[in-house]
Amino acid sequence: MTAEVTHDVMEPAKPGRLRNGLLTTLLVGPAALWYVVLLVLPLAIVVIFSFGTRAKNGGYEPGFVFDNYIRALERPDPFIASLAMASAGAIGCLLVGLPLAYFIATRAGKRKSLLILLLVVPFWTSFLIRTYSWLIILGPDNGLAGVLGGIVGDEDFRILGTPVAVLIGLVYGYLPLMVFPLYVTLERMDRTLIEASKDLGAARWATFRQITLPIALPGLVTGTILVFIPMMGEYVIPQILGYGRTYLMGNALVTDFLEARNWPSGSARAVFLIMIMFATIAGYLWFVNRGRQARDVSVL
Amino acid sequence: MAERDLEAMLARMAANKVNRRSFLATSGLLGTSAFLAACSGGGGSASAAPSAAASAAASTGASAAPAGDVESELFVYNWSDYISPTNIDAFKAEFGVDNFVYDIFANNEELIAKLQGGASGYDICCPTAEYVPGMVEEGFITKLDMSRIPNAATMNPAFQSLWWDPNNEYLVPKDYGTTGILWRNDLVTAVPESWQAFKDLVVGEASGKTVMVDSMGDVMVFPLKLLGYSLNSEVESELEEARQILLEVAPHVLALDSDTYGDKMANGEASLTLGWTGPLGQELADLVTAGTAGYSVPSEGTLFWMDAWVMLADAPHPNAAYEWLNFIQRPEVQAEETNFNLYATPNDAAKEFVDPAILANPAIFPPDDVVASLEGAKDLSGSAQRLDIWEEFKSAIGG
Repeated sequence: MTAEVTHDVMEPAKPGRLRNGLLTTLLVGPAALWYVVLLVLPLAIVVIFSFGTRAKNGGYEPGFVFDNYIRALERPDPFIASLAMASAGAIGCLLVGLPLAYFIATRAGKRKSLLILLLVVPFWTSFLIRTYSWLIILGPDNGLAGVLGGIVGDEDFRILGTPVAVLIGLVYGYLPLMVFPLYVTLERMDRTLIEASKDLGAARWATFRQITLPIALPGLVTGTILVFIPMMGEYVIPQILGYGRTYLMGNALVTDFLEARNWPSGSARAVFLIMIMFATIAGYLWFVNRGRQARDVSVL
Repeated sequence: MAERDLEAMLARMAANKVNRRSFLATSGLLGTSAFLAACSGGGGSASAAPSAAASAAASTGASAAPAGDVESELFVYNWSDYISPTNIDAFKAEFGVDNFVYDIFANNEELIAKLQGGASGYDICCPTAEYVPGMVEEGFITKLDMSRIPNAATMNPAFQSLWWDPNNEYLVPKDYGTTGILWRNDLVTAVPESWQAFKDLVVGEASGKTVMVDSMGDVMVFPLKLLGYSLNSEVESELEEARQILLEVAPHVLALDSDTYGDKMANGEASLTLGWTGPLGQELADLVTAGTAGYSVPSEGTLFWMDAWVMLADAPHPNAAYEWLNFIQRPEVQAEETNFNLYATPNDAAKEFVDPAILANPAIFPPDDVVASLEGAKDLSGSAQRLDIWEEFKSAIGG
């Protein structure tokens, strides 16, 4: 009896710690399960498949060969095209998104909420329908291509079916993913810093370069990565606006999985794509952080 | 009189939403689910579920009716808008099949992915014939007792005993069509009647105004047939010659598009398309009436595709399935199918009941000498060389 009492008195914290541990498990459990079931397992399957061979009637047959990787290397065109297109798209989003985010965050005043809402509203419509609508906007009849062609006097001037159309579609489709992170960082910016910069005689460009840009950098990096990743795998926009003439990674994966029914080959390409994205983003972050080290601030 | 018939036919065509072969946009989206479904099968875990109704059928079907008794249910898995509703109603009434379920797939890959994922409960499905041998090997479908399908006896022999079913054991031909050239004769000076003429136009006056369907098996037909080879060629040197032709025309191609090529032809963006007959009755219907759009079956020969009725190995309602397979081959019923979906029936006895305007349309029913020049496609999607040519072509198109 006494011993038990002593025991209770001596270790009062133990039940609490246990409860904490249980609570942590309960809270983290679903997220961990989510990651394992929806990320780790599928990824493991893709990696395993990438070493297999195509079954006689399509699909996957277990094996351990490197042919699929060799093939992916022998036909690198879609990788290169995707890297180029996603980079151009990310830069395009930045060029359009930064001024827009800056305007909404600093100059829009009472209309701020309205403008943010207007940015979100298109998301309520199907991505496919929004992309199809660009067929009309850019079209050769009464669309942009027709108007521009009329101005330069070239009847056959066209935008649809060119990489430019794909780029426009990409920038349009992913712009909000760039604007929101930028907006959040710029909105929190201390405006007095800009006043101070101006008071100290800095010109507009110097103020932007030395004050606004460094403050916006975390949002800029997040936004760039957010738009770059999905653009690397984009399939619908090059198919519809690019008329299937811009052959990107997403399209190559469709060819592998659905046309050739060669899952191992498609899996190897998917693994390649993941590695390339890792490398690109790691390189990008290294580059950005190197620039920031002088100011002793790290991004991500 | 002929003109009035044609008008009536076109009106019917326009009202019809048959899109048997323009499935790309959908397949891009559905492909994901097909992939997931198939993945789960490959991983050996959960199976892809067919519709809830079909699953229910599988369980009730376990208590099989004694041979001869027609079950009151039938589960068909097929392309969309591909069976005449009139025929379905007539069948239900005549045989007391109250529950006729018609589920749809967007392309052969989806059908096979579903079956690989373990979908069961269906009685009948309609793959394209070149996929049938693979389905036999995988054990998905069963041999048919042809004595229970006497109405198929009038099948045109040209569509029987082909490589995909040499002994006519597994499939009953459903309907067929060709891959050819859609043209606008107001936009090109000469109607291309051959693959050679097509190529000359593509690199000439139709440069930048030619569409090809985004389908490896169909596009490869053009260079191979132009060179005088089999469209199923697996000879390395022949395929390399074909590669050179494709790379030569690649910079002149406006689009690879299986979904909206009819629109591109209709609005004049494109003057030629390597494609199928579908748009003739839909987007191009007005132009066909006006005489400015049409379809050629190239003189060097081309591909014909044929869809087929097959019965699944675990069909829960085999008696109803046999009744259906026999019913659908009745001449009048078969003719109604063609009148509805505008694809040619391979059953000769049905022809006299087909709408004369449809029967006279060479795009739907090619003349006998053309039929003789047609070649059925093999499933060569596993050929590494073909895939490499196709990918190089796709990359070269963008310049």
